[in-house]
Amino acid sequence: MHIPDGYLSPATCAVGFAITVPMAAIASAKIKKTVKTRQVPTLAMLSAVCFLIMMFNVPIPDGTTAHAVGGALVAVLLGPWAALIAVAVALAFQALLFGDGGVLAYGVNVLNMAIILPFVSYGIYRLISKGSALTSTRRVTAAAIGGYVGINAAALACGIELGIQPLLFHTANGTPLYSPYHLSQSVPAMMLAHLSVAGVVEAIITGGVIAYLQRANLPLLRTNNPDSPEDRTERTPRKLRPIYVALAAVVLMAALTPLGLLAPGGAFGEDAPSKLNLGGLGLKAIPSGLAKYTGFWKHTLLDGYGFSSGAHPVIGYILSAVVGVLAIGVAVFVVAIIIRAISRRRTADPSSDSTCQDKAVLSEHVR
Amino acid sequence: MSALAERTAPTPDWLLNREIALCPCGCIGKRRKGSYVQKTINGASGLLRQVMFSDDTSAQRGLLQRLDPRIKLVALVGLVVAGSFLRTIPGLLALYAATLLLAATSALPLGFFIKRVWLFVPIFTGIVLIPATLSIVTSGDVVLTLWHWNGQPEGFTQQGLMSAALVVCRVASSISLVVLLTLTTPWTKLLAALRALGVPRMFVLIIGMAYRYLFLLLGSVSDMYEARKARTVGIERPDRGARRFVAATAGSLLGKSMVISEEVHQAMVSRGYRGDARTLDRHRIGVPDLSFFVAAALFASALLVGEHVLGA
Repeated sequence: MHIPDGYLSPATCAVGFAITVPMAAIASAKIKKTVKTRQVPTLAMLSAVCFLIMMFNVPIPDGTTAHAVGGALVAVLLGPWAALIAVAVALAFQALLFGDGGVLAYGVNVLNMAIILPFVSYGIYRLISKGSALTSTRRVTAAAIGGYVGINAAALACGIELGIQPLLFHTANGTPLYSPYHLSQSVPAMMLAHLSVAGVVEAIITGGVIAYLQRANLPLLRTNNPDSPEDRTERTPRKLRPIYVALAAVVLMAALTPLGLLAPGGAFGEDAPSKLNLGGLGLKAIPSGLAKYTGFWKHTLLDGYGFSSGAHPVIGYILSAVVGVLAIGVAVFVVAIIIRAISRRRTADPSSDSTCQDKAVLSEHVR
Repeated sequence: MSALAERTAPTPDWLLNREIALCPCGCIGKRRKGSYVQKTINGASGLLRQVMFSDDTSAQRGLLQRLDPRIKLVALVGLVVAGSFLRTIPGLLALYAATLLLAATSALPLGFFIKRVWLFVPIFTGIVLIPATLSIVTSGDVVLTLWHWNGQPEGFTQQGLMSAALVVCRVASSISLVVLLTLTTPWTKLLAALRALGVPRMFVLIIGMAYRYLFLLLGSVSDMYEARKARTVGIERPDRGARRFVAATAGSLLGKSMVISEEVHQAMVSRGYRGDARTLDRHRIGVPDLSFFVAAALFASALLVGEHVLGA
């Protein structure tokens, strides 16, 4: 994800610095307010740790190794502002000492890895771990998910920054001056690698370190969560009621329905064979398989999204949307009821996990 | 560390050179996907080797080593900026030639300098850019047809090749300039230059201390990994236990660093630290510094103006 110099236009680099410099100023002011002179050695150590975490090779399935950024970890332990400074300094080392990441692209690299990554990770961690005890598994899961989503958000930003270059900067005959890949190529390329490999590694490091600290170093976990109780039987998460799940699905879809009216043309791959632009594909006739199976199912209740007379297309579209949304809502309701029935039967099963937990709680009381 | 290197003898060659070993690439016997423990230990020793080497080169007597670090920083970063504005290959090649000239006059081993830049460029830039030269990515005039698709010729396009060459040349000259800066400037002087140029004191202080502690913590990491290697009989398996080990190493490193930073803070306060940093070195800008700066500025503007005139 370290963008070297030469891939980004000077204008993009300037935008990167314009965002990161004020953010760094806010970060140093915030840190100063809370910890006074102590911030210097602490942040220096954290930067060194971040740099070293980027050197840890984590084994992943298939025998290969990859490394993490570590920004999510520092954000979870000491907050996103401390992570901003720690990762930014580690990135400065890499750019100045080892030529890893450019000097002009430094602002953009800081934006991706020291701002977007820690803040997204921290937000998700807080959202999931809210109200849980310091030693709960929920914190480990929250940290791992935060790390995974955070590094992918950073990768997406990186893909977008690279992808807008050929749109904005090219010569008269269409030769791209900087990174030559369009958004449709750079974003999937970045996301594929990060969704499959780098995200997993960041999740392993972030979640794994939190799990280790729960066993070995609770005071460190406490620094950013002074109010959380150390150990308590986890509050049972509120049971989702099927009717609410179904209602939420209906409301979400109803809110999204007007989008269909805005969309130009049909969806890809949904055109009737007679409407296809065959000439553009170099074909002279409808392929035989397509022609054969296109009318396979003729027994639909309603024909298309509208009245059969073709009058009032917008009202017809909305009416069919209401019918469809209600049908899906009923289906979600039924599925939720089935899931609840299954999970109830599992709780009643004496060999299940939850009873083991009960036993553990019991033995705790006996002690 | 760099101050030490100036006073003592340079690092012996055998410590910097990689040892010749049997080829692990698979031409002999079964191919193995190196162990994560070995990779991390190698990474740590590679880092130390690189730092020792740059300490040695920055202590040599050459053109760039003599210059004031502030002037050098501004001039070389200015050249990087000029490079990012250049839009033609000849202009970028002229800039790259200038970096080679500077490396030669700064007593850097030229072969090493070229290798360090061009080992990176083909791996990261070259491979990434190959698809962009094809008509499936960059549409344009096809100059070399590779295959036909529905009667349309597909292959390398003139626009794609030009764009890839532009990016490769620009990346190569930018990396060369940054490598020149770091190989000829001791780390402490580089930090002083950053401070003089208005980077906030706290950032410079943190960078300086982090650099010092990097090696302390690097020692801890390689100790932990070597201990792991010594305890393991046979091949390390990339399984769940291995991932737990990596996470535990990172976790205990964090714990250690927090304890050390607490102690360091107490030591700093007891020695009179009140949030300000003071340095002993004082730099004065002389005639050679100014003339280098003017030369660099003239060269950069000559490149930009020349390209504009020739392009028009």
